[in-house]
Amino acid sequence: MNRNIDPILASVLQRRFKSITEEMGLTLLRTTRSPILNEARDFVTGLYDRKGRMLEQTEYIPILAFAIQPVCKHIIEYFGDDIHPGDVILHNDVFTGGNQNADVAVFKPIFHEDALVAWAACKGHQADIGGAVAGGYNPEAREVWQEALRITPVKIAEAGKLRKDVWDLIFANIRYDIVEEDIKAEMGGCVVGERGIKALLEKHGVEKFQSHVEYLFDATEKMVRNEIRNVPDGIYHGESTVFYDGIHLESRMKINLNVIVEGDEITFDFSGSSPQTEGFVNAPYTATASAVLLTFLMLINPDIPHNDGITRPIHIINPEGSFLNARFPAATTFGNSIAGPNSDAIFRAMAQALPEKVTAGWNRFLGFTITGTDPRKNRPYVDILFLALKGGSGGTWEADGYDHIGLINCAGGILAQDYEMFELHDPHFLEKHEYLVDSAGAGNWRGGLGVETEFVIHGNNVTGIAFGDGVDEEARAFGFSGGKKGALNGAELRYPDGVVRTVKSKEIIRDIPAGTVFRQTAGGGGGYGHPFERPIEKVVEDVRNELVSVEKAREDYGVIIDPVSLTVDFEETERRRGAKS
Amino acid sequence: MTRYRIGVDVGGTFTDFLLMNEEGDAQVYKVLSTPADPSIAVIHGLSVMAEKRNADLGRFLGQVEIIVHGTTVTTNAVLTGNVAKTGLLTTRGFRDALQMRRGIREELYNNRYLPPRPIVPRYLRIPVEERIDFSGKEIRPLSVQDLEDGAAKFKENGVEAVAICFMHSYADGSHEEAAAERLRRLMPDAYLSVSSRVLPQVRFYNRVSTTVLNSAVGPILEKYIRSLTAKLEMHDFKGLLLIMQSNGGVTSPEVVTELASSTLLSGPAAAPVAGIAYTRLHGYGDFITVDMGGTSFDAALIKDSTPLVTTDGKVNRFALALPMMDVHTIGAGGGSIAWIDDSGLLRMGPKSAGARPGPVCYGLGGTEPTCSDANLLLGYLNADHFAGGKMTLDRPMAEKAILEKVAQPLGMPLPEAAYGMCHIMNINMASAIREISVQRGYDPREFLLVCAGGAGPIHAAMIASELEIPRILVPKESSIFCAAGMLLSDLKHDFGRTYHTIFSGKDMDVARFLSLIDDLQREGDRILALESIPVERRMFQYSLDLRYVRQYHEVNVPVTMEDLRTFNGESMKEAFHRQHDRLYGYSLREEGTEVELVNLRLTAIGVTDKPALKEEEYRGKNPNSCLKGTRPVFIPSQRDFGVVPVYDGDRMGFGHELQGPAIIEQTNTTIFVPPEYEVACDAYGSYLLRLV
Repeated sequence: MNRNIDPILASVLQRRFKSITEEMGLTLLRTTRSPILNEARDFVTGLYDRKGRMLEQTEYIPILAFAIQPVCKHIIEYFGDDIHPGDVILHNDVFTGGNQNADVAVFKPIFHEDALVAWAACKGHQADIGGAVAGGYNPEAREVWQEALRITPVKIAEAGKLRKDVWDLIFANIRYDIVEEDIKAEMGGCVVGERGIKALLEKHGVEKFQSHVEYLFDATEKMVRNEIRNVPDGIYHGESTVFYDGIHLESRMKINLNVIVEGDEITFDFSGSSPQTEGFVNAPYTATASAVLLTFLMLINPDIPHNDGITRPIHIINPEGSFLNARFPAATTFGNSIAGPNSDAIFRAMAQALPEKVTAGWNRFLGFTITGTDPRKNRPYVDILFLALKGGSGGTWEADGYDHIGLINCAGGILAQDYEMFELHDPHFLEKHEYLVDSAGAGNWRGGLGVETEFVIHGNNVTGIAFGDGVDEEARAFGFSGGKKGALNGAELRYPDGVVRTVKSKEIIRDIPAGTVFRQTAGGGGGYGHPFERPIEKVVEDVRNELVSVEKAREDYGVIIDPVSLTVDFEETERRRGAKS
Repeated sequence: MTRYRIGVDVGGTFTDFLLMNEEGDAQVYKVLSTPADPSIAVIHGLSVMAEKRNADLGRFLGQVEIIVHGTTVTTNAVLTGNVAKTGLLTTRGFRDALQMRRGIREELYNNRYLPPRPIVPRYLRIPVEERIDFSGKEIRPLSVQDLEDGAAKFKENGVEAVAICFMHSYADGSHEEAAAERLRRLMPDAYLSVSSRVLPQVRFYNRVSTTVLNSAVGPILEKYIRSLTAKLEMHDFKGLLLIMQSNGGVTSPEVVTELASSTLLSGPAAAPVAGIAYTRLHGYGDFITVDMGGTSFDAALIKDSTPLVTTDGKVNRFALALPMMDVHTIGAGGGSIAWIDDSGLLRMGPKSAGARPGPVCYGLGGTEPTCSDANLLLGYLNADHFAGGKMTLDRPMAEKAILEKVAQPLGMPLPEAAYGMCHIMNINMASAIREISVQRGYDPREFLLVCAGGAGPIHAAMIASELEIPRILVPKESSIFCAAGMLLSDLKHDFGRTYHTIFSGKDMDVARFLSLIDDLQREGDRILALESIPVERRMFQYSLDLRYVRQYHEVNVPVTMEDLRTFNGESMKEAFHRQHDRLYGYSLREEGTEVELVNLRLTAIGVTDKPALKEEEYRGKNPNSCLKGTRPVFIPSQRDFGVVPVYDGDRMGFGHELQGPAIIEQTNTTIFVPPEYEVACDAYGSYLLRLV
C-alpha cells in the first residue's frame, strides 16, 4: 500500500461524498416544482473530479446511473481552459453525451486556490423542453428538433453573474415557467455540493484529496474486478425485441447482444442490433450505456460505491447507426424506455453464467400522459400517470418479484400518486387502483403483480400521449427456468358515446371529451422456476388473497383448491404436479 | 413526608428510572429490561427504590405523586410482527393502498429486497361500496350489506381489531362514523380505529397506514397498560400515571389507548423536552440533542426552544403520519461493529453487538471489535471503572480483536486502527446531525450540542469538532436523559383538519375555516377536560400547512390566535414566506404566487407542574479535590497518546472549571475533554464545554 495513503481518510472522504450528494438531492426534493422531480424523483446528483470522473453519485432512479459522467467529460473538453470560478453550465444535448432531451443538467466547477479541482452536477427530467409537444414525449417526432430545444454546453452564469441574455433565450423556448424554477433548484443543489467539497479541500488540502480519490477509484475498481472474476469466462448471447416504432404497426427492432467475460473484464457487444428507426424509438449512446450499467449493478454486490472505478472494467461496443446509438439528427425520446428490453437481453445472456443472480423479465411499462384544462380552477394540468404504469418485476432465485414496482429504469424509485392528491390535482374521478389478479407470471418464485387503474376524465381540451411497450403478445415479461410469462399491458378509452378506443403503445390521442373513462392494466413480472415447485401454502395464500384465481392455481401451479372452503385436494394436486416429471 | 415523581424509560437493554423529590434532588436507577412483560422490570425498579428507603413497595408508592412512563411495547410489536389480528374496511376499488406503499422499493439495485408483510393481509382488507368526493359530497351511499359481510368475515377469522378508512373522509367523515357505529354493534369487543378521527387529513395512503397501525397496536397497548395499572394499584399506587407519546408530550392511559399509535416511535421523544429544561438555564434556545447508547444514536434539532416536528414517520417501512418529534436515528452506538468492506475500507455498524454478547471487552463472548473496544484502547474508557466499577473490562481481548480484524488487514499500527474506528463513528454521527440541521436549512455551528446517553459524552467533543460546533452541554443525568425529559413533559395532543383551497383567495370560505378552528378547539378542550386539566392550564397552539400553488410539499407555519380569529390572511401569508425562505433559501413573495392551504392543525397542551432542578452549592473553581489520577489517553489533534488527568465526576460540582485534556468519570458515563476545550460545571451539576 502507498505510504502516503491513510485508509481511514479514504473511508471518511467516501462517506462525505455520499452524504454531500444526498444533501444535494434533498435540496432538489424540497425545492423543485414539477412532480416529475419531487414525487417521481427523476433526477441525479453527483460530484466529479477535475477530469470529469465520478467521485460519487446518488441517482434517485437507476437509469440516470451513467447520465452525467460523459457530459462532464465533454464539457471539460469543450471549454478547455475557459472554465472559471462562478461559472455555471447548462446541457441537455443527446448528441454530445446527454441521455434524454428532457433531462437537463447543471454543472458547477469547484475551485481551490485558483485551480479547478472538481465538479458538482444535478440533472433532472424537466416538465417541458420545447419541441413540438408539451411535456417532451412526442411519438410523432422524426428528428431531434421536433422533440426538444438542443442545449449544447452553455454558460448560464459567468464568474458568478447570471447571463440574462442566454437565460432568456433558453426559457423563451420552453413552455412552462416552473422549468425556470426547477433549473434554479438544480443550481441550488450544485451550490450545496460545491460547499461540501470546498470544506473537505480546506481541511485536507488538494494533494491529499486527489491522492485519496485515486485510492478510492482503485479500491472500487478492485471490488468490481473481483465480482467479474467470479463470473465464469465465456461469450454469452442474449436477444430481445422492441415492438412498434410509432409509425409502422408491425415494426420490430432487435437487440443482439454478446456479453464477453474474460478474467476481470466484461464487454457488452451490441453489434448486429437493428438499424436506427425513422421515428423516436432510438437511443442515444449514453442511454444504452446507462441501461447496461443499471442491469450490471443488479448482478453484483449492491453496496459497491458509485464512482469512476466501477466503470473501468466494463466495455461497451455499440456501433453508431443502430437504434441503440442513433446518428444525428435522429429523434431519441424513447431511448430511456429501451432500458427494459436491454435488461431483458442482458439477463437472458447472463442467465447462463449467473442463474441465481438474474431475474425473469420485468413488465415493460406503458406510459400515458394527460394534458388538459381543469374546469374547477380553469388552469392547465399535466400528469404522467405513474400510478397506472407501474407493473411487476421478475421473480429471482429465492425471491418473488416486487409488486407494482414499475419499470426497471426506475426499479422502485418512483412514487405512485396518492389517490386523494390525484383527485385534488387533476379533474379525474378515480374508480379503481388495485393489484391485477393473475397478472404475475407463475413460478416457484412468482413475478411481481401488476395493477389495474380506472378513472373518469372531467378535464377539458384533453390530449393523451401514449409511449411505451408491452402490449404485444411477444412483449410479455418472460419467465425463467420453467417460470411463466407475466400479463400484458393495455389501455383503453371508453368515450361517453359508448365507443371504445384501444390505445396503441405509441401515439397521440387528441380531443378526448369530458366523461371519458380511462382504463389501464399494467402487467406483472415473469416467474422464476417451475410453478409446480412453489410451496402449496404460498399458492393457497395468494388464492386466499384473491391475487391468483382458483383456475390459475390449477392450470399453472397444479394446486387444486376448493373455491369455497379454500381447502387443497392434496391427492389431485400430487397427481397433477407429478404428471409434469 | 417526602413526595416523589418518577420517570421510567423502558429501553431494549435497561429500564431507566429517575426519582425526584420536591426539592429537586434526583437519583438514577437502572434495572435490566424484561421484554416479555416490560411491567415486571418497572415494578422491580420501583421495589429497588423502596428498599433503598427501607420501605415496602406499598408505602413507597403511597408517596409517589406521578409516574411518567415511556414504553416501547407498541414499537416492538410492529417490528416483530406480533401485533393484534387486524381487519380493514375501505372504499371499494382501493383495498391495496396499504400493501402497495405507493410502489416504492427502498433498495433500487437489490432484486432480493422484499416488501414488508402488510399489517393486514388482503383477504382481511374488505372493500365497501361507498364514495365521497374531494369536496365532501356523497357520490355513492354506504352499503350496509358490505359492512355486515365484512364483520362476518372478521369474526370468522378471529379479528381483534378493525380499522376503517374511506376515501376523502377528511372532507366528510359521516360514512366512516356510520360504519363505525354499525361495526361496534356487530363486534362490540373489537378495538376500533376510524381514520377521520385518528388522522383527518388528506393523503389516503398515509391515513390508511396510520389508522391500521393504530388498530394493530391498540389491543397490545391496552393489555399492557391494564397489566401495569393493575400491578401499581395492587401496591397502593394512588398517584397519576402518564404515558409518553412520540409528539414529545404525555397523556393519560385512557386517552392513549384510543390513539395507541401515538406511542410508536416515542422512545427518543423525551430528549428534546429534557434538552429544553437544561438549556433554558443557560439562556440557550437553539440546540441539538444527541443520545448515544449501545446500539443507536438519536439526534434532534430544537430552534427557539421548539423542537422540529415531522409527519413523515415510518414504522417498519409503513407510514405513520401523526405529528411527532423529528428525531433522526442511525445504527451507531458503543456496540457498533467494525468491519472491512470488499474494497478494503473500514466501516462501523450499523450492526451492533448489543448488550449480549456486547463488545469484546465485556468478556461475555463477543468476538467482533466494537466502538467501545476502541474507546478502551484509546484510554477513554477505564477498564476498572465501568458502570461505576461494577464491571471490569478485558483490555487484552479487545486489543487482540482490533489487531486481528482491523489493524492487520489495514496494515496499520494498533492505536491508529483504534482511533480510525472511533473517527469513523464520529463521522457517521456527525452526518446524522447534518441530516437534521444542514438538510433542514440550519447551520449546526449556531447551535449548542447537548450530548447524552451512556456512550455519548466520550464522543461529544469529537463530533462537535467535526461540525465546528463551539459549545457542548453534557447534562448531569446524561445516561438517563429521556427519563428526565419525561418528568418535564406537558400533556400534549395534536389535531388536524384538511381544507384545500387558495389561501385568502376569493373562493375561500372564511366561515368554514373559522368553524374548523372551532372544531379543533372543541376537540382539544374535550380531551384536556377528560384528563382533568383546568381551563387556566390549557394552551392552544395553531398552525397551518401551506404551500405555493403547484408545489407538492407543505410547510407547517405557526400562526397566532389573533391572526386566526380576525382572519389576517396577509400576516399569515407573510409568516409562510419567511418560513419557506428559511427552509429552502427562497420565497415567492415578490412574484405574488398564490398560496394554498392544505391542513389546519392544533396542538392542545395541558401544562403540568414540573419539578424544579435543584441548585447546588458553589464549590469554588478549583476541582483538584476531585482529581483521581492520570492515565494515557489518545489525543486526536496530536494523533498520539498523552498523559491526562482523570477527575471523579460524581464529586464534581457547581463552579468547578478545568482545561482539557481531561477525562471526567461518572458512574454511568465518561466525558472526554480534548485539549482545545475548557469545562465549567454549572449550578445543576451539568458540564458546559467551550472551544478555547
